[in-house]
Amino acid sequence: MFDLDEFIAYIQAVGAAKLFRIFWFFVVFEFFRYVFIDFVVLISWRVKQYYDKDKLNDARAQMEFENPLVSIIVPGKNEGKHLFKLVKSLREQTYQNFELIVVDDGSDDDTPTIGKTLEKNGFIDLFIRNSVRGGKASAANLALRFTKGKFVVHLDADCSYDRDAIEKIILPFYMDEKVGAVGGNVMVRNYRESLVTTLQAIEYYDTISIGRIVSSHLGIYRIISGAFGAFRKDVMDKIEGWDIGPGLDGDITVKVRKIGYDIKFAPDSVCLTSVPNTFKKLSRQRLRWDKSIIRFRVRKHSDVFKPTQNFSLLNFFSFLENITYNIILNIKWYVYVIDMLFNFVSQIKFIFVANIFLYTASNYLKYIFFYPFRPRQNAPFAYFLPYLPLMVFYFGYYLRIVRTIAYIKEYFFKASYKDPWNPIKTSNKAKEIGI
Amino acid sequence: MSKDLTSKPLFGENFVEHDGYRYYIMKDHDMVNLSELIAYDAIIIEGTSAKLIEERVSNIRKNLNQAFFLIPVFVLKGNFSLPIYVEELIDGSIFSIDQVNLVTPIVHKIHLRNNEVTINTALSYEAQLISKTLTYMYSRELNQLNAQLHPNSGIGFTFPILSVNFEPKEEFRVLEILEIAEKEGVLISEFHDRTHLCSQCHTGFLAYRECCPKCGSANSESQDIIHHFVCGFVGPISDFQNEIDDQLNCPKCTRTLRHIGVDYDKPSVLHECFNCGHKFQDFNVRAKCVTCTFDNDVQQLIGREISNYTMSKKGEMAAINGFTSTSKDIEDIIGTVKLDTYRTMLKYEIERIRQTDGKSNICAIHIANSGQLYSKIGSDMQKSLLKDMVELVRRNIRSSDMITFYDSSTILLSMNDIPLKVGQNIISEICALIEKLLKTNFNDLEVDINYNIKRINFKLSNELQIQQVIKDFYPDV
Repeated sequence: MFDLDEFIAYIQAVGAAKLFRIFWFFVVFEFFRYVFIDFVVLISWRVKQYYDKDKLNDARAQMEFENPLVSIIVPGKNEGKHLFKLVKSLREQTYQNFELIVVDDGSDDDTPTIGKTLEKNGFIDLFIRNSVRGGKASAANLALRFTKGKFVVHLDADCSYDRDAIEKIILPFYMDEKVGAVGGNVMVRNYRESLVTTLQAIEYYDTISIGRIVSSHLGIYRIISGAFGAFRKDVMDKIEGWDIGPGLDGDITVKVRKIGYDIKFAPDSVCLTSVPNTFKKLSRQRLRWDKSIIRFRVRKHSDVFKPTQNFSLLNFFSFLENITYNIILNIKWYVYVIDMLFNFVSQIKFIFVANIFLYTASNYLKYIFFYPFRPRQNAPFAYFLPYLPLMVFYFGYYLRIVRTIAYIKEYFFKASYKDPWNPIKTSNKAKEIGI
Repeated sequence: MSKDLTSKPLFGENFVEHDGYRYYIMKDHDMVNLSELIAYDAIIIEGTSAKLIEERVSNIRKNLNQAFFLIPVFVLKGNFSLPIYVEELIDGSIFSIDQVNLVTPIVHKIHLRNNEVTINTALSYEAQLISKTLTYMYSRELNQLNAQLHPNSGIGFTFPILSVNFEPKEEFRVLEILEIAEKEGVLISEFHDRTHLCSQCHTGFLAYRECCPKCGSANSESQDIIHHFVCGFVGPISDFQNEIDDQLNCPKCTRTLRHIGVDYDKPSVLHECFNCGHKFQDFNVRAKCVTCTFDNDVQQLIGREISNYTMSKKGEMAAINGFTSTSKDIEDIIGTVKLDTYRTMLKYEIERIRQTDGKSNICAIHIANSGQLYSKIGSDMQKSLLKDMVELVRRNIRSSDMITFYDSSTILLSMNDIPLKVGQNIISEICALIEKLLKTNFNDLEVDINYNIKRINFKLSNELQIQQVIKDFYPDV
C-alpha cells in the first residue's frame, strides 16, 4: 500500500540532483517545452498583439474596403443531416460576401436530396453530387476547381461557427501578404457528453489551441484543421489542391509552407465541433492522425530536412519540433520507463506517484496561467478543474500508447494505405507511387 | 322502305338523287350556305385536297344544329388520303359519283336512327355537346369514342366528333366535357394515355428543354467530371484534354490517364450555363408552350388522363330521349320556370284566350352563335351569363310573364295581355340590351341575336306554337 508519509520522507531525502536524475523526462521535455517556453512565447505574442493593434485596424479597413469573395467549401460523405444547421450558422456570419460549395462524396443517405433542396432554395450556391466516393481530398479538390473567391475556406459540415469566424479567419491575410493559409480555432461542442469528450475538450482548449498560438507565433505552425481553415486561392492553385489522405490537413499545410508562404493561427476565429464520444472511436481517430505523421512528415516530406534549393530554416524547425515532440519523445518516454525500471526499481511506486503529482501540478499551472491568453472560453472556468488530474493518464498513458501503436503500424506496415477513411482505389495508387 | 341498289342515280346540277335520297355534291369552289343543305339527305364532298375536305367536314360536324351535324357525309376520293380523324367524321368514301348507290344503304340506316333521337334541347353548352356526341354516336351505331393522337390538336389527342367543336386553343374543354359525361354516367372511361398541358393556356404543344436552374437558359454544356486517383485531382474532362492528341493528361501531376477504374473514374457530370455561368448537376426541365409561349416549370403543368370512352346504356337512352342538362347546369335559374311548366302554363293561357278573347304572345330570343360564345367560357361563366340575361329579361317584362329555356341558346317568354306591337317593341329592346351585355363581356365577339314573337292562337296546340316561334332558328324543327 502506498504510504503518504513515506512518500514525503522519500522526496525530502532525495536531493535536487537526484530529483533531476529521476524526473529528467518531466523537467527537460514536458515542463520546459510545454509550460516554460509556451508561457514565454505567449507573453511575447501578447506584446506583439499590442504593438500590432494599428496594423490590425488597417488590415480590417482594407478587408472591408476590398470585401473579397470568400469561397466556402464543404466536402464530405453522408453529411446531409448537418447541412441545414451549417447553412443557418453561415447565414448568421458577419461577413456575408461568400459562396458556398458543397460536394457530396458518394453519400448513401439522404444527402443528395437535402443538398439539392438547399441549393434550389438558394442556401447553397453549388451542390455537386459525386455518385462514386473518391475520398475527402478529391471532394475538396472538386469544390476547389469551381471556387471563384479570392480566399477558400474549408469547413466540415458537422461544425458550427462563431458569428465572426469567417471575418476573423480572413483578417490575417490582410495583416501580412506572406500568409498563405490560416487555421481556425476548433473547440469542443459536446464537452459535457462523456468523460472522453471532456478530456478531449481540455486537450483542444489547453494543449491544441495554446500550442497553435505558440507555434504560429514562432512561425512553425504546421497543421490547419480540416474543420476550419482558410487558404489563398492563388496559393491553392499553385499547390494544386489537396493530395490524397488520410492526414491531408497536415499535408496541405506543409505544401503551403514549402512554397514559401506563412501559416497563421487565428485563435479568435472559433469553430465548434463534436468529438468522438467513446474511447474506441477516439482511438480510431487518433490512430489515423498519428499514422499520418509518419506517412507525411517522415516519408513524403522528408526533403524538408535536406539542404535543397527550397530549404527553409523555419520549415526545418517546424518539422524538427513536430517529429521531436511526437516521435522522438514518445520513444524517449519508453527509454525513461526502462531507465526507471532498471535503475530505480525499488522506488518505482514513489516515482510513479511523484510523476502524477508533477504532471497534475503542471496541468493546473498551465490551466491557470494560460487563462488570460485564451481569446474565448470553451466552458465555465471551474468546469474543467476536477478533470485536470485525469489528463495525466489521458496524455501520459492513453494517447502515448495509441501513438506508439500508430507509429509502429505505419512505419513498419504502412497501415494508413489500408485505412477505410480513404477509398481503396486511391490508397492503392498512392502506395504504388509511394506518396 | 326497301332499297334498290341497282337503280340508276339521277344527276342534277349540284346534286344526285338515288332511291329517294338527294345527295348534295359539294365542290371545291362552292360557296355553299349550310342552311341550304337542309333540303338534302346527304352530302358528297368532292374536294381536291385533304385540307379542304377536312374544313368542309368540320364545318358540318361542328354545327350545333342537329339537322346539319347528323347529316351523312361522304367523300369523293381523289389522289390523296384523309387523316384518320377526318375519316371518323365522314360516313364513307366513294371513288365516283356513279357509286352513290353503294352508300345509299348507309344513308338510309343513318336516317332511320336519326329519326329515333330527340332534338337537342340541352341547357348548357356542355350538355349540348354531350348530347350532340351521344346522338352522333347513336346515329352511327358507334359504341366507342376513342382518343387519337393528332398533331394539330390543342391537347395532342382528338376525339373527332367532340373535338371538332373546338378551336385547338380551346380543345382542353373536350376533357372537361368528357369528365362531365362520365360523371353523368353516359360514357364509361378506360385509361388510354396521359398528357400534360400548359398551366396558362391549357394546350399540349410543349417544347421540353433542359434549362439552367438559375437563369432558365437552355444554352449550356455538359462535361464529365474526372477523378485522378493518384494525385486526387478532380475536374471537368476538358482540364485533362489537350490539343495534340486524344490522351487525357492530369493537369496536376502530368500523368497520362490510361484505364478507367484503375487510374481514374468519372464520379459525376457537371453542366455549365453559357448565359449566366452557373454550374449545376441537375437541369431544371421546363416546358415552353408553343401556343402561348409561357415557360412552364414541369411541376406546374396540368397532368390530364386521356381515356377511351364507351357509350353506356344510359348514354344510349340519353341519345334517344335527349340529354338536356348536366348536374352542373342550373337547376332553377331564378326568374325562370322549367320548359315543361312553361308548356303547361301555355296550355292554360291558350284556354284562357279561347274563353276571354284575350291578346297574349309567345316570344323566343335566340343567340345564333351561342356555340362560339360558350366555347370561350366555362360552365360557371356560362351559368352566370345566363343568370344575367334572365335578370335583364325579367326587369323588362311583367312579373306575371314567364321565362324558360328552350335550350342554352334560346329563351322562351310569354307576354300576356299586351298587343303584339307592344310586345315586339319590348322584345326588341330586350334583345338590344342582351346584345349590349354580351358585347360588354365579349368585346372580340360578333354577337348574333334574333327574336321572334307570335300572337297566341287558341286554335293551335301549345307544342305547335312553340315550334312555330322557334322554327326560324331551327329550320329542321
